[in-house]
Order: sequence, then C-alpha cells, then structure tokens
Amino acid sequence: MLYLQILINGLLLGGLYSCIAVGFSLVWGVLNIINILHGSLIILGAYAAFFAYTELGIHPFAFVPLAGLLLFTIGYLLQAGLINRVMGAPVLITLTLTFGLNLMLENAMILAFKADYRTVILNPPLGMLDLGPVVLVKDRLYAMVLALVLVLLLYVLLRATRIGRAIVAVRMDRDAAALMGVNVPRIYAVTFGLGACLAGAAGSLISVIFPISPLSSIGFLGKAFVICILGGLGSVPGVMVGGLVLGVLESFGTLWLGPDYSTTIAFVLLLALLLFRPTGLMGKRGFE
Amino acid sequence: MHPTRRTGLKQFLSVALLAALPASAALAQNPILIGAPLPLTGPLSPEGTKLQRGYDLWAEEVNKAGGVQVGKNKMPVKIIYYDYQSNTSRAVQLAEKLVTDDKVHFMFSPFGSGATKAASAVSERYGVPTIAPTASSVEVFDQGYKNLFGTMTPNDTLTEPMSDLVRATAPNVKRIAILARNDLYPLALGNEFEKSAKKRGFQVVYFEKYAIGTLDHASAITQIRATKPDWIIVTGYINDMILVRKQMADQGVKVPIMTMITGPSYREFIDASGPLATNVTTASWWHPAVRYTGNDVFKSSENFTKVFRAKYKEDPDYTNASGAVVGVVLQQAIESVATLDRDKVRAALASGKFQTFFAPIAFSPQGYATSYQPPIFQVQGGKPVVLFPKAIKQAEFAFGVN
Repeated sequence: MLYLQILINGLLLGGLYSCIAVGFSLVWGVLNIINILHGSLIILGAYAAFFAYTELGIHPFAFVPLAGLLLFTIGYLLQAGLINRVMGAPVLITLTLTFGLNLMLENAMILAFKADYRTVILNPPLGMLDLGPVVLVKDRLYAMVLALVLVLLLYVLLRATRIGRAIVAVRMDRDAAALMGVNVPRIYAVTFGLGACLAGAAGSLISVIFPISPLSSIGFLGKAFVICILGGLGSVPGVMVGGLVLGVLESFGTLWLGPDYSTTIAFVLLLALLLFRPTGLMGKRGFE
Repeated sequence: MHPTRRTGLKQFLSVALLAALPASAALAQNPILIGAPLPLTGPLSPEGTKLQRGYDLWAEEVNKAGGVQVGKNKMPVKIIYYDYQSNTSRAVQLAEKLVTDDKVHFMFSPFGSGATKAASAVSERYGVPTIAPTASSVEVFDQGYKNLFGTMTPNDTLTEPMSDLVRATAPNVKRIAILARNDLYPLALGNEFEKSAKKRGFQVVYFEKYAIGTLDHASAITQIRATKPDWIIVTGYINDMILVRKQMADQGVKVPIMTMITGPSYREFIDASGPLATNVTTASWWHPAVRYTGNDVFKSSENFTKVFRAKYKEDPDYTNASGAVVGVVLQQAIESVATLDRDKVRAALASGKFQTFFAPIAFSPQGYATSYQPPIFQVQGGKPVVLFPKAIKQAEFAFGVN
C-alpha cells in the first residue's frame, strides 16, 4: 500500500510538473528560445494569485484564467517589443536577453514583494480524501487536474485552431509559413504569450502547494529543463509524460534512496537520456 | 548589488577626501570597521535580515553613546555588509574581500554553521578575530582555529533537555521519526537528537535527510506516517519548516509531539503556518522571556526587548538577539584591552567572561559558548511560550499536533 501511496504522490506532483514545463517547452520548441524568464514568470503568477487571495479573497484555482491572461499580456508585449528584435540572432543572444530580463524581473520582485517566503493558506483548508489505504491531498489533486486540463487545452489549441496551426507551421518551417501568409513576428509574440500564460496559470496553482519567494524561480526553471529533455522537445504529450515520469521518479527515489537523493535521480536520468536518447522519450521535430 | 563598483566609488571618494582634508581630521573620525557577510536575499534571507537588525541595533546604540571606549578615546563602529545571496561560496569570497579590500578590524561570521565554518578559514588565514552569532554545531569548531568564537551553546544543549522534558511529561511516547535537512547544522542537530533519544530508550523508527532546496516532502511524509511515530522531529530553517508543516497537515499526520528547529520561535513561521503552528515545540538560544542582566549597552534582556521594540515595532527573537550579542561581546573585549590590536582582542575573547543581556558568555578552548542553558518553547495561542527552564516557565507542555 505504501507503494501505491508513493505512486499517487508522484503522479500528483508530476501533473503539476507538466504544467510548469509545458510553456517552457512550447517557447523552446517553436521560437528556439531557452526562456530563462520562465521560472520568474511562474513566480509572478504565484504572487498575483497570493495577493488576489489575501487582498480580494479570490480562490487561487479560480484565479488561474486571470493569472494566465495577465501573464499572456506581459509575455506578448515582451516578445513583440524586445525579443522579436533579436530573433534572427544565434540562440546564445536570445538566451542572454532572457537571462538579463530574468535578473531584472527577479530583482524587481525582491523590491516589490521582499525575499520572504509566502504561502497561500486556504481557509478553510481543502483537507484530504481518505480512501482507507491511501490518502489524496485535495488541493494537490485539484491542482493536478487543472494542470492537466491546461496542458490538454494547449494541445487542442495547437491542433484544432487556425492560430495553433500557424504556430506549428512556423515551428516546422518559418520561411514557408511566411510565404503562406502567416505573420511570423505576431505568431512569435502569441507563442511567447502562451508560454507566459501557462507559466502564470501554473504559478497560480502552485501558490497553494509550495511557498514562494522571488528567488525560488530557479528551482522551477530547473524542473522545466529536466522535463523538456525527459519528454523531448516539440510535443505536448512529451511534456506530459516527462512531468509525470519525473514526479514518480522523485517519489520512488525518496522511498528507495532517501529524500536526499530524490533530486539527484532526475539529473542522473537527464544525463543518461542525453547520452543514449538525446531526443527524449517522445521528442520530434514540429510542435504538436 | 554591485559591491565592487560601490567599493570602487567609495575608495575614489575616500582618496579624494583624504587629499582635500588635513590628515589629522580624517584620522579622528576613523571608525572601528567590522565585516559582516549576510544572506540578505535567497532562501536564508529571513534569517539574514534578522541578524542584520541585531547588528544595526547594537551599532546604533553604541554610536549613540559615543562609541566604543578604546583607552581614552571613544571610537564609533561601522559595520560593512555584503549580501552573499544564501550562497556559501560567495560568503567565503566576500569574507576575503572584507579583510583584504575593506580592511576590516574584526568580523562577524555569516549565517549558520555551514557558512560560518567555510568562512572561518578566511579569518584564520588573516588572523582576524571573528565572532559567530549563529553557529552551534561543534563540528564548526573542530579545526583548532584561534580566531573563531561562537556565542551559541552546542546542539546537545537543545536536544538533551528536550528529550528529558518529553521523557518526564509524556511517558507513553516511544517511537521517534527524524527528518533532517542535509546541511551542517540541521544534520548535526538531527544526529544529536538521535543520540539523546537513544540514550533515554526511545526507539528511532525513521531517520532521513532531505536535500537543500527540496520542494516536495510528500513521499518522505508518507513514509513517516507509515512508521506511526509518537514524536516527529524536523530540522532545517524557517522555509523548510513552513513547507514540511503544511505538507504534513495535507496528509493528515497527527502526533502527540512535533518538534521543529529552527522555525517556530520566529513570528514568520507562526504567521505562515497559522493554526498549524499550534503545539509545535522548539528550542532556541534566547527569548524575550529570559532574564539576564549585563554590563553592556543594553543592560538587561528586558531593556533589549524594549529598545528593539521601539526601533522595529515587533518583539525580538533569538536571531535578532544573537546579532546584537556578538557586537556586545566584541565591544567588551576591545574595551577590556583598550586597543584594536587583533592579538590582544583575541586573547581577551578567549579568556573573558562577558555579562550580557543575552546570557553570560564565556568560550570553551574550542571557541563555542558553554556558559548558559537555552530555553525550550511551544507555540500556544499563536505565540511561543517557554516550557523550560523552570525559572522562566510560562506554560505547561500541551500535547497533540494536528
């Protein structure tokens, strides 16, 4: 029964991980930008949710769409106003730009919110679902379900809408897409906006589960990296699998090797995959 | 944020000033320089900021009184801060910079046992007497260094009385689970708890370490739950404690006794954990309830609390007080030898007995304090109350952490 509980813990965590990583993967896959800002955008979304709850009483789960919208706007403007200017440049330039933007955002958040850790304490707490041998923590369960819904929404958006197909087209062949009448800079901005939107939504979800501080962004960015490489760039299902695999691995790692090594496992696996299967578990060209 | 640039500017200005003023006028204002690397940002920022408040309060009070009495002169103190961003290797670099670049006379150690030990190599190399406000692990003092002095008593002065108290008040408690942060002090403390517990016949059913920066403790907690402990002990820093306490509640963990060190003696833990903080026990080296008198600027524990409250509009906790007491001890050592000579001040620190508002401080040959007994607390009614020692006890031990 212990194993079942550990598996459930891992899946609940993994669902959230997928949501944390999917925006990062989208931006990396489509724009070829390693978005160092991603972690901080998650934290920004989490702070927005924190203040929405403490000041206005809006439940963080209900705040998810608003956080997404807010961050979409910020992401869209960032890409349209700044990052689009260096899109033709080598990947190191865009990386440096997002790195610099990240320093600015991080320090702005330290100034605005202080470096103290904060956490949303739901009142009343959601409690847990006691199924006898196993317990399901409700806030994690709901957050995981919402996270997976968000990931699915992105999947549908990319497959079934005009804008989604345009994003995939740009990812496959930018020049051909431009010839077909796709406004490439606009698609870039929309894609980056979507990435930020998912970061904001994920932030809103995690505000209920993890304490947040402007400096905790790096932890989430690290997870996003591992998941993208685990699952493979360029696919939403890949990110989902990557997130769930990482969550389950960390859980069982804690059980078998002790909590001290749970995070080590992820990086060992990352190295192994890079050596033997550099495309990740489900990686392919073109974003679907 | 740019210490190098700022120092560059400072150096330029001081050179310009020296050129403009007659040399004697510049010398008369020379303050005693103390270097203090602190984690003002990053995961340890709550602790770093607390220490800084203690340092600042001491410096302000001393300077208000004219400064430190060095022979016939009164010299003001000036503390030079650098933020090492909770990154130990940066703390070491900055300690070196403070000695070689800023030419500080003395140093206060960075926060916590791990960073203190790392930076102590720097002060030893340059022979700078250094006082550590928050290093309680004896492992920090096992290198035979002559320049490092710690004002906290060793970890077993927390774990021994705590185990005695549990043994005496809760005879049914048998099974103990320990979850320790894999970091010098929290792990050393976890090991001490294991020793103290075994010595008294408790059964340690779970003992694991978690990595620094761990976000998810769910699986460790699932295991702890499965071992059905009567007493759960968690070691780490405030942020770890907030996280672990919440995730324990998420899984419906209920135990008669839960001890968390450090964390519950801080307002931040209680604010962030709300009702979950109730009945969590902890121990720390100082509390506004202790009653000591000293011949320092603060005069007594009560007066320190009053002065602190007037400046910061909140009650001091032990980290705030630890920041102030290192200043007090350094001042008394300097005043006793009436010079800033590092060798003489070091000798005064090593042999002195310092009556302070914090507690009586005297250092063992290894360099840590052994001269007082830290109190044990429990969070009751939203604030920490003292359970031990008896002389300052404020409440009875309450059981049941839900």
